[in-house]
Amino acid sequence: MAHFDTEYQRLEASYSDSPPGEENLLMHVPEGAKSQWHHIENLDLFFQRVYNLHQKNGFTCMLLGEIFELIQLLFVVGFTVFLANCVDYDILFANKFVNHTDSSKVTLPDAFVPVEVCNARIRDNAFVIFVLIISGVFWLHRLVKFIYNVCCYWEIRAFYIHALKMTMSELPYATWQEVQARIVEIQKEHQICIHKKELTELDIYHRILRFKNYMVAMVNKSLLPVRFRLPLLGDVVFFTRGLKYNFELIFFWGPGSLFENEWSLKSEYKRGVNRLELADRLASRILWIGVANLLLCPVILVWQILYAFFSYTEVIKREPGSLGARCWSLYGRCYLRHFNELDHELMSRLSKGYKAASKYMNCFLSPLLTVVAKNVAFFAGSLLAVLIALTIYDEDVLAVEHVLSSITLLGVCITVCRSFIPDKHMVFCPEQLLRVILAHIHYMPDHWQGNAHRYETRDQFSQLFQYKAVFILEELLSPVVTPIILIFCLRRKSLEIIDFFRNFTVEVVGVGDTCSFAQMDIRQHGHPAWMSEGKTEASIYQQAEDGKTELSLMHFAITNPQWQPPRETTHFISQLKERVQREATGASSDMHPPSLSESQPRSLIANFLTAPSAQPSVHFGRDGSLSGQVAAASDAVAALRSLSPISSSLHLRGSFSGAYRTAGNASATSRTMAGSGTDARTMSSGSSAWEAQLTSLVLSEYASTEMSIHALYMHELHKQQSRGNALSRHTWHRQESDESSDSIPDEVKSVPGSRYKHLPRSHTFPTTVPSPTAIPTSASDGAAAAGPEGTASQQGGSNRWPYADILCTGGKVTRSARVPMGGWAEESHQLAPRRHESLPEESSEDELPPHIHKVR
Amino acid sequence: MRLSFKNNLTMNCRSELLEVTVEARQVEESILSLLHTILLHRSTGKFHYKKEGTYSIGTVGTVDIDCDYIDFTFVKISSEELDRVIKKAVVEFKDALNISGSDGIGQISLEFYQKKKSRWPFSDECIPWEVWNIKVNVVNLANEQERQICREKVGEKLCEKVINIVEVINRHDYVPKMPTQSEVDNVFDTSLREVQPYLHKITYQITDSLGTSVSTTMRRLIKDTLAL
Repeated sequence: MAHFDTEYQRLEASYSDSPPGEENLLMHVPEGAKSQWHHIENLDLFFQRVYNLHQKNGFTCMLLGEIFELIQLLFVVGFTVFLANCVDYDILFANKFVNHTDSSKVTLPDAFVPVEVCNARIRDNAFVIFVLIISGVFWLHRLVKFIYNVCCYWEIRAFYIHALKMTMSELPYATWQEVQARIVEIQKEHQICIHKKELTELDIYHRILRFKNYMVAMVNKSLLPVRFRLPLLGDVVFFTRGLKYNFELIFFWGPGSLFENEWSLKSEYKRGVNRLELADRLASRILWIGVANLLLCPVILVWQILYAFFSYTEVIKREPGSLGARCWSLYGRCYLRHFNELDHELMSRLSKGYKAASKYMNCFLSPLLTVVAKNVAFFAGSLLAVLIALTIYDEDVLAVEHVLSSITLLGVCITVCRSFIPDKHMVFCPEQLLRVILAHIHYMPDHWQGNAHRYETRDQFSQLFQYKAVFILEELLSPVVTPIILIFCLRRKSLEIIDFFRNFTVEVVGVGDTCSFAQMDIRQHGHPAWMSEGKTEASIYQQAEDGKTELSLMHFAITNPQWQPPRETTHFISQLKERVQREATGASSDMHPPSLSESQPRSLIANFLTAPSAQPSVHFGRDGSLSGQVAAASDAVAALRSLSPISSSLHLRGSFSGAYRTAGNASATSRTMAGSGTDARTMSSGSSAWEAQLTSLVLSEYASTEMSIHALYMHELHKQQSRGNALSRHTWHRQESDESSDSIPDEVKSVPGSRYKHLPRSHTFPTTVPSPTAIPTSASDGAAAAGPEGTASQQGGSNRWPYADILCTGGKVTRSARVPMGGWAEESHQLAPRRHESLPEESSEDELPPHIHKVR
Repeated sequence: MRLSFKNNLTMNCRSELLEVTVEARQVEESILSLLHTILLHRSTGKFHYKKEGTYSIGTVGTVDIDCDYIDFTFVKISSEELDRVIKKAVVEFKDALNISGSDGIGQISLEFYQKKKSRWPFSDECIPWEVWNIKVNVVNLANEQERQICREKVGEKLCEKVINIVEVINRHDYVPKMPTQSEVDNVFDTSLREVQPYLHKITYQITDSLGTSVSTTMRRLIKDTLAL
């Protein structure tokens, strides 16, 4: 066949069944497609696990921890049974003698009952069998859970290693923000979530904290029955882990709960049509769960007692004082938690406030108890001293019966007594302490301000910050009290609960149903008294109390600088930041020339306070105790000192932002970073590119201080505002509905300014030492009072500390003059009964249903 | 009476709702037309792998179908096997709807999913990524004239729906990435001879029956107790 030179060529016969011309149609699978991380089924669980693994410092730590927990459980049960049944105590106490042939010494094995006898004893004892069966079931449950968890977390581990490119060994040293940034990054590549191209930080938070946000909102709106008026004890808060577990069981995941699955509310609960019927159904469900609790009560009780015994006896033996120590109560954690705040953020915040909080509580030791304790300690101490002295002289004293035990007992007794005796060098300065606490905990009811020295405030604070002993006691009581609360209190609220979930649930694309408060939308849930005046459209029912929306928003924006909020929100944030920034720079330019080295901001403050005063008595000890000659002044110093990281970082940031504006290039190192975190967004320069990489750790450390400043600032403004337009709402005592607030402002307003001495401003303040009774009522005044001590640095004008500035620029100088002064002023005592009168009025509207029923 | 239907089971999944109001005899055709339209766009030709990650795609044939009871023509893939599977599900649904009696509301869902291989103790997970819910209201018509009007009306409505479906599918939304040879069964249904649709299943629901909710609750209860 002739060969023609044309472009047409004979088709190669293809005997495969693929279409002709397939060479051109060949497709290639891209490399990255093999990842298994795209499109994860249950993102809620997935993110929670990612977070948990991060918090537990990696897979190995977690595995070990869980294994030990299982072993511990076995040990606890086994050891208890052994102690109860298999030890012959008569031999131990030497009431009975063993006749040994080889040696005269009694050994430990002698005290053990023979195995057969022991077994028989156990078999005969029905109660022991009961305990054993319960713990056996419980342990098996834990074991299955453990195995399941290991499988799940193995996958998460693989996710960390392969997708996030983080090894388990570096995980403990990575911040959550870093992990989160990587997750956001890989979403672009792997599409973990299929609804959106990009995940935001808020999405991740929403998923991890979906139910916690609901709980926080419910506590915020006083929906949960955790506050009770008891005949003898007065106002108490009862919120234990058991109760919380039951709440969650009822609302979120138990059989027949309001939620269909982790991310969506059942659709019938979203409609307002048959709310009454649904409320009935919920009420009967609560009843059943309450009854179940009642039936299981003995089991849980036994468990709680065993658990408490073994987890706390060792601690009490080691340091008996720990029972007198305090901890943040479960209620406090709910009350103080921001929306969208992860556990570790909350815990670090609360831990920072711990010292100040316990100091504050120690201000209120009962004088009566102190007198008794002092004397008991004296007598016990003298006995102990004699015994110890005798022992030192001749240690045979120890062999006398009960000498060792009485030494131990006396020691314990003295330790307990000592916790009731206040530190000799302690100064009573509750207002400032409360201010410092506020800087960390960010929330407190309005009426605490100016009333920090009062016992009611202290009592209420102790609801947030309770004795460890009380905590344990409550946990022990919980199995008995929980069913009662469920059956008698929660059931009555079923309609409100139904309304709450209907009104405050929004469906967010890519996230599912979340609590609408957690959107932190000022417009929907802002409170006019908390800086969102004019921006909020919320009715009273919709407003979050205590400025929760605003503070949460600031907190979230500060901890997640990369987050892009919606426009109005951005506006709110930048406005607030600008204002704070202005105060800060104003203050710092007064105080520090920009040339000062920022490396030791603490010492700067210290210098500024100590040097001019030239008082040898004012020294900065580690423990912060100052000799109390000049009470007010030293209070101010103490307050400033404890706040010094705050104020210093404020100055630091302030001066940096100035430097940044002029220099502007990234050559500035970590110092600039600190500044950029605050105002990168407000300055809208191109800093975000490098901000993203450099910030994480440096920023997260400064973020908390920055948040403290903002929290204080917002509280300060709120105070001004609420006094100014009498909008203050007395939120602490409100029971459940919010229309009740009107009775309070009068009381606040009724403090006539003329009845109090005017507190002069710092630049007009005479340079005499203020009398100890004139304790300034806020840290800003404290700073003002500190002025005379720091005469040398007064040239700058009025302000040492930004909050003094706020008071001035606020244009309400009269306000600060109205603050009640002396901690023990008579006026404040006259006020006390009035506050109590106002209480019943508030609770009278308990039964009113909420007025707004927004049907979505 | 309003019925509430189980909305999409999993969160990480798109769901689209189509609602049609038809006469009893139109049920089958209207649903078939919608399901076939969706499947037409969610199918590819058969993959022929040359190497692990390289393949060529076969062709997909289509046919026009004229409806008997509706003024409407739709395009479907010409594949008898696929036809049979869908027809079976739709007929079942239609029968169930007839039996259920007067209210005549039902929902049929076409769910596209992906399989994820799990290690030994767990069975393979099916993770849906897109669900099409078609809600059907059946009406009874009095006379022939109304039927005639309905015939046209439903035709128009279906036309709208088809355009709607195409719009949704044209969006740049998530679809599973093209698999390598070993993974092709996790993404595509390779059992058919002519075409290769994404893995899918058809479920229907006449009323929100109690049975499903109890079983899901139990499953969740077990899962939740196991979870940390």
